[in-house]
Amino acid sequence: MSGPSTRAGDGGRAVSARPRPGHYRRPWWRGTAAVALAFLLPSLVALTLLRLLPGATALWESLHHTSLLSGRSFVGLGNYLDLFANADFRGAVAVTLLFTLVVNPLQVAVSVALAVLYTRRRMAGSKVWRALVILPIATPPAVSAVVWSVIFRPEGGLANALLAVVGLPPQGFLTSPDQALASIIVLLSWIGVGYWMLFLIAGINDIPAELYEAAELDGASPVRAFLNVTLPMLRRPLSFVLVAATVSNLLVFAPVQILTGGGPEGSTNLLMYDIYSRAYSLGDMGRAQAEVVVLVVITLVIVAVQFRMLRSED
Amino acid sequence: MPTNTSSGPGAPAARADRPAGRTRRRPRTRRALITATGAVVGLVFVVPLLWVLTNSLRPSADTFRFLSPVGWETFLTLTPALDNYTALVGTGLGRGILNSLLISAVTVVVGLVLCATAAFGLSALRFRGQGAVFAVIVVSFLIPFDAIAIPLADLFRDWNLQNTFTGLILPGLGNGMAIFMLRNFFLAVPEELVEAGRLDGLSWWGVFWRIYLPLSRPALMGAGLMLFLFQWQAYVWPLLMGTDAEHVVGPVALANMQGQFSVDYGLMFAGSVVLILVPLVVILSLQKYFIQSVSTSGLK
Repeated sequence: MSGPSTRAGDGGRAVSARPRPGHYRRPWWRGTAAVALAFLLPSLVALTLLRLLPGATALWESLHHTSLLSGRSFVGLGNYLDLFANADFRGAVAVTLLFTLVVNPLQVAVSVALAVLYTRRRMAGSKVWRALVILPIATPPAVSAVVWSVIFRPEGGLANALLAVVGLPPQGFLTSPDQALASIIVLLSWIGVGYWMLFLIAGINDIPAELYEAAELDGASPVRAFLNVTLPMLRRPLSFVLVAATVSNLLVFAPVQILTGGGPEGSTNLLMYDIYSRAYSLGDMGRAQAEVVVLVVITLVIVAVQFRMLRSED
Repeated sequence: MPTNTSSGPGAPAARADRPAGRTRRRPRTRRALITATGAVVGLVFVVPLLWVLTNSLRPSADTFRFLSPVGWETFLTLTPALDNYTALVGTGLGRGILNSLLISAVTVVVGLVLCATAAFGLSALRFRGQGAVFAVIVVSFLIPFDAIAIPLADLFRDWNLQNTFTGLILPGLGNGMAIFMLRNFFLAVPEELVEAGRLDGLSWWGVFWRIYLPLSRPALMGAGLMLFLFQWQAYVWPLLMGTDAEHVVGPVALANMQGQFSVDYGLMFAGSVVLILVPLVVILSLQKYFIQSVSTSGLK
C-alpha cells in the first residue's frame, strides 16, 4: 500500500503539494483509507462474524458427517442426497411450495385491492379505516400466533363463535389437516397485508393525477383506469412487494412452532420448521445444515431475480 | 365526448364539483358504498385486537363467557379492570417483557453507532476497495438472518454466549440493511460541507458527529426503528439461545404460556397487549420516518 506510487490510498495527507503542470489539485478525500477502515471496522467484524461466518460454517458442516464414534468425516454432497431422498424433507418442500404459491399471490392481491380502496378520494374517513388495517403490523409474529391460537380454539374460540352467527358449523382450524395451513395463512396475512399495503399506497400516491384525468377524459371506466394506469405505474413497488413477501414467507417459523409443530399429518411442516426439528429433535446437524444452505440459496436466487427485473426496467 | 361517459358512473362528477340535480345522487351512493366497504374491512382487521384488549381488561374466568351468542359484550366491557396488568409484575412474562425492552434499547443505541459509522465510512470517505467492502455489506443483508440462526447458535455455544444478554443482543447489531439505508442518505450530504468542515480543522470524527449526524435525523430514526423492530419481534434467535427464566424474552415467555396445561388467559392477553402496544406506540410516533425508511429501503 505505501509503495512509491503517490496514488497509494493511505499515504497520509502530508504528501507534498508540489504544483504540477496540469495544476491537478489533490482531492480532499484522498488518503483516507485508514480513516474509512476505522469507521467501518466494527460493523465489518460484526457482519462477518454474525452473518457471513455462520453461512460459511453451514456450507462446511453440510459437507461433513459428525458422529460420536468416528468424529467428523467428509461426505461431499452425501447430506444433500440423503436430504432429497428423505420423505419428511420432500413433504416439507411440497408444503412450502403450496404455501408459497397461495400466500404470496393472496397477500399481494389483497394489499393491492386495499391500497386502491384506501386511496379513493371519495371515501369518507379513509385515513381512519386505513389505520385500522395498519394497526396489526405492530404485532410480533409470535404474539400473533398466540392470539390466534385462542381465536381458533375449536371449542369456545372466537372464530367458531362468529361462524355460528352466520349459521355455519364449528370448524377444526389448526387441528384439521385440511385447514391448519389456511389458518396459519390467515394469521400471517393479518399482519402482512397492512404492511405491504403501505408500500403500494406510497406507490399509488406517486402516480401523477394527470394520468387519471386523461383516462377520465377518454371515458375510461374505473376498472380500465386501474388496468391501464394504476397497475403499470405500480410495477416497481409491486415487484418489490412480491419478492419481499416471498422471502419473508419462506422464513415463517413462529406460528408453526407455537401452534402446530408441523402437524397435523405434516400439513404445516414448512422448511424453517423442518430445519429446526431436524437439527434439535432429530439431532441430525449435517443434514439440517444442508437444508439451511438450500433455503439460503433459494432466497438469494429470488432476490437476484428481483435485482435483474428492477435493473432491466431502468 | 361527455355524452358517452355513462359507462363510467360518477367519473366526471369527481372533477366538476357539483353537477346539477340528476347526476348528483349516484356519486353520493357510490361514496356511501366505498366508505362502508372501507369501514367494514378496517373493522375486520381490528376485531382480533379489540377482542384481545377487552379480554385483557376482564378476569380470566370471563374470557369465553360472551361468545355464544356473540354480542356487543364480546368486544367491549363496561367494567374494565387493570388487574391482569398488575398481575404481570413478577411473572415470567413480565420479566420477559422487561428483558425485551432492555435488549431492544441496547441494540438501538449500540447498533446505531455501529451502522452510522460504517455508513459514514462508505459515503463520506472514498478509498480503494470500497466496492468490495460495500459488497460484503450487501451480501450480509441478503442472507436472511433466521435461516442462518441455527449455525450461528452453534457458534455462540462454542463461544459461551448462551444464556447471556450479550448473546441475545449481538445479532441485532450487525444490520446491513440499516447501513445501506444510512449510506444512501449520507451520500446526499453536499461535499462542500465536508470540505468546509475539514478546512475549519474538524477531524473526520468531528465531520461525522457535527455535520453528518445532525443532518440525518430522519434516516437515523428510520434505522433505529429497524434495529428496534428486529429485536422486539425476534423469536427464532431467543428460542435457540436456550434462554433460562432470567434471560427469557417477551414473545418466548408468551409462547411458553400457550403450551401450558392451564392457561391464565387474562394474563396472556395483558402480556400480548403490552407486546403489541410498545412497537405500535414507537411506530406511530415515528410514523413519518417509518414510511420514509420503508419506502427508501424498498424502492431505491
